[in-house]
Amino acid sequence: MQMSTDTDVNWQSERTDEAIDWRDRLHEGFVLRIYEPAIIAWSDRRTQTGLLIVLVYLSMALVDLLGLWRDASTSQAPRMLGAFQNWSYPLGTTQSGVDVLALIIDSTPFILQMVLAGGVWATGVAVIAGTISGYKGGLTDSVITAISDFFMSIPGLPLVIVLGITLEPESPLVLGVILTINYWAGLGRSIRSQVLSIRNESYVEAARAMGTSTVRIIRKDILPNLMPYVLVNFVFAARYTIFAAVALYFLGVLPYTGQNWGITLNYAYNQGALFGLEAIHWLLAPIIAIVGLACGLILLSQGMDRIFNPRVRTRLTGESESVESTPDHTTEVR
Amino acid sequence: MSSHSPGSQEHDNRQPDPILEITDTNVTYTDGESYVLEDASVSIHRDEILGIVGESGSGKSMFASAILDAVPDPGVLTGQLRYNGPDGTVDILGLSDEQLRAFRWEEIAMVFQGAMHSFNPTMKIKTHFTETLQSHDRSVSEGMSFARELLESLYLEPERVLNAYPHELSGGMQQRALIALSMVLNPEVLIMDEPTAALDLLMQRSILSLLHDLQAEYDLTIVFITHDLPLVAGIADRMAIIYAFEFVEIGPRDAIISNAAHPYTRALLQATPNINSPLEAMESIEGQGPAPANVPSGCRFHPRCPVATEECESVDPALEGAESNRHRVACHHVERAREELTVSTDEAGAFSATESTTRPSTDGEPLLELSDLEVHFESSQGLPEGLIGDPDVVRAVDGVSLSIEPQDLVCLLGESGCGKTTLGKAMIGLQEPTGGSITFRGDPLDEHDDARAALQIIHQDPSSALNPNRRIVDILSEPLLHTHPNASIAERRSRITSLLERIGMTPADAYIERYPHQLSGGEQQRVVLSRALLMDPDAVLADEAISAVDVSLRIEIMDLLLELQAEFETSYLFISHDLSNARYITEHAGGRIAVMYLGEIVEIGTAQRLLTDPRHPYTEVLRWATPALGLDTDGDDEPPVREIDVPDPINPPSGCRFHTRCPVARETCVDTSPELRDCADVDGAVACFRSDPDHQYWESEPLDGASERPE
Repeated sequence: MQMSTDTDVNWQSERTDEAIDWRDRLHEGFVLRIYEPAIIAWSDRRTQTGLLIVLVYLSMALVDLLGLWRDASTSQAPRMLGAFQNWSYPLGTTQSGVDVLALIIDSTPFILQMVLAGGVWATGVAVIAGTISGYKGGLTDSVITAISDFFMSIPGLPLVIVLGITLEPESPLVLGVILTINYWAGLGRSIRSQVLSIRNESYVEAARAMGTSTVRIIRKDILPNLMPYVLVNFVFAARYTIFAAVALYFLGVLPYTGQNWGITLNYAYNQGALFGLEAIHWLLAPIIAIVGLACGLILLSQGMDRIFNPRVRTRLTGESESVESTPDHTTEVR
Repeated sequence: MSSHSPGSQEHDNRQPDPILEITDTNVTYTDGESYVLEDASVSIHRDEILGIVGESGSGKSMFASAILDAVPDPGVLTGQLRYNGPDGTVDILGLSDEQLRAFRWEEIAMVFQGAMHSFNPTMKIKTHFTETLQSHDRSVSEGMSFARELLESLYLEPERVLNAYPHELSGGMQQRALIALSMVLNPEVLIMDEPTAALDLLMQRSILSLLHDLQAEYDLTIVFITHDLPLVAGIADRMAIIYAFEFVEIGPRDAIISNAAHPYTRALLQATPNINSPLEAMESIEGQGPAPANVPSGCRFHPRCPVATEECESVDPALEGAESNRHRVACHHVERAREELTVSTDEAGAFSATESTTRPSTDGEPLLELSDLEVHFESSQGLPEGLIGDPDVVRAVDGVSLSIEPQDLVCLLGESGCGKTTLGKAMIGLQEPTGGSITFRGDPLDEHDDARAALQIIHQDPSSALNPNRRIVDILSEPLLHTHPNASIAERRSRITSLLERIGMTPADAYIERYPHQLSGGEQQRVVLSRALLMDPDAVLADEAISAVDVSLRIEIMDLLLELQAEFETSYLFISHDLSNARYITEHAGGRIAVMYLGEIVEIGTAQRLLTDPRHPYTEVLRWATPALGLDTDGDDEPPVREIDVPDPINPPSGCRFHTRCPVARETCVDTSPELRDCADVDGAVACFRSDPDHQYWESEPLDGASERPE
């Protein structure tokens, strides 16, 4: 990245050129924000595995949207076929003759939307509330803390059940938000405590001394240091959303809208799949789908940790492309 | 207490009686590829104080761990360690885990840096003592009475300290309690790894003189490890200098100070800011010590050595006797080093009157003017206490008036907790004052539009002053976004590279792409400095800006500060707890030193005046506490204060705040508080009744323990 030597401006000089070079900025932004992080993320086996798993789910959603696999409907197949017996119905069929693979694929877009909504809502609100109350302090802090205390003291599950029954959410996005309606409170609290300690770091004080705006300080100096934590918690929130949704569908608390893994589990259970082997495939297929998604997300988030750790980051870019021209004395042993 | 004088003649002639013999000891990592201690062969004599001096990361702490066979995994310790205790000779490396556990506290005890981390915060100090005694099968009642005796001889009240939790004691008290704890099993050898680095100079000196007494009283052998050469020079019998994981010079203290043979030792002596040697004589050592992974071939010091030859690059010199076997050095060119590298340590009082130390007074308005500034902190309490009664108020800054001219330099000097950082931050608008006023160029500070950008800060610890997630170019772009909002990326880069080249970070193109953790401490501090200066400030607060930097680099950073002051036309507010550093920078810049004590300025004046003619007793105490490199300095003089510990700032003493510790306090000082007034015959001002010959102070009775000293 050699782009500085053509114009020679001394640190003391008064002149400034008015033009802001957008091409430079875009190029630098691309290398810094996309290319380098991608290389680093890919260098970790956990990210690779996690990414592959998540890709499987995304392609399942795509298959459903493009209609590449049959939609689930009753009597489309022989009843109670086991898994891997008939390759037209690889995961077998149900009591009423529904293709299990079709059931799983049909629910994927719904689940993914719900998970995304739940994760974004829970971590988004938590990050905003946590950083503002931690950085601002004073009255703002007291008010936000009081609100989150209030939410934390409401028992989560009954609240979600009541909301689920009264609102009858059909959109996966609304459902995701309802499921994590008070998840943010606890997470916001722990983010607040991290912000409190970062706020007292000398570099934040130096930024304040330069007159940098609060928004910029939060964006540049505080959030990047929180990102590993936020990301891990995003995945936890997403996992919580799937588990909660499946549990509530299984219990029959949420309205049955079309197909989904929880409902499939419920049907399988009601057909006595727990007590006999002939319906085991019907029970296992949704369970594996749920666990697989949770695992994929966790692996991905653990691998992403690397991107936000500058020490790991520099070591890896140093290996994959020879940026370092001089031997580095300081990175090694501490 | 004792007539023990270190390094004296009769000591030299005594037959060496080694208590610890360390032969060819190595500590290696990564399968023997990198050495963090190489070929250490030292014997430690019975009842001596051995001072081990080295820069950070030179392997000196590893030496301490090696003696106790406590090298952290995955380090591998090889060699021979023999301990000649009262019960015969022990091969330390041959001990079983259980024997080692007993050996460690009973024969050789260790005191670590940071006492606050050595105590369990949930246990009373007493429990620490009883647990130690019990786990070594000693009688608790006998041990505790010995502990009380020890605490008393360390100027602590045994009952109060034993019944306190660690957080209830100040840092200095904790450190002294830790020394007592380490001695409670009556060990033969005490190893102290930077035991005073986290403490104030006055406390350091006090602890050192206490150590000296303890050593004589209990027949201890002390190994004192530090980065601070002048500090240990006061008490050591022999000194060893360690550089890049090897001992480079070992010898009697007097020989090391007055006739050092190794170029590194000579350079180190020269690089240490010192109140006795002339300013021009101090110079820093170029470069920095190597990391264990890439130690230079041949003599490790040759890349930084001014007398290095080709021989030094290929042949590693052995540690051999220079004059006698008592003074050993690892250098090929001892004669040339002694001839070419001058050390000016013992010409005490070498103040050159040639330097005009008073700044020509500027006629314009002052840059910053404080009048009667107060910053009080209320310690917040829980709901029940908060409603009843007044909250505790810490008067961090209490009525300070000071003015700073454009391109001025004022150094705030004082012990930790005296309010110097709070005052500094209030002056640059980072701390809201609770009383008094600050004016910036004639306007109140908070109403002046340009004030925010014009007042910048350099923090103490450079590693926490730089965001670990941003590259140097991003960090340094930040001030440019304020000063030159329209500059393009290329222009910003070009400004940054030219500044980095100016401050000696070349090649700048390589540096700007790095993250802060890829820079050394000195380089980080330069980046912090550049960030402050790129704002084009009128005043910069340098808050202990050099305390976290290696000793050999301090002068270099201070010189850089001074050079850039002229180029950027800025004023400095320099905060320091160290009189020798304060003297160096103020005397070069022609500034003033303001001595602070418990939130008040007690004396202000030029460095030269404060050193040669201090008017406030506290300034004299600080002068005493500053270690001087000279042969006449002994560790066994008593501290010139009546109390070692600083009073609680929540409840400061009445009258003159220093009266509880002041060696010359009288009845008057207890209830009336002296004002800071200009000295009649010399520059500066002082807040002490003694400056007024007609004051009633002279008629009143001296306080308990205070000397008459009429003068």
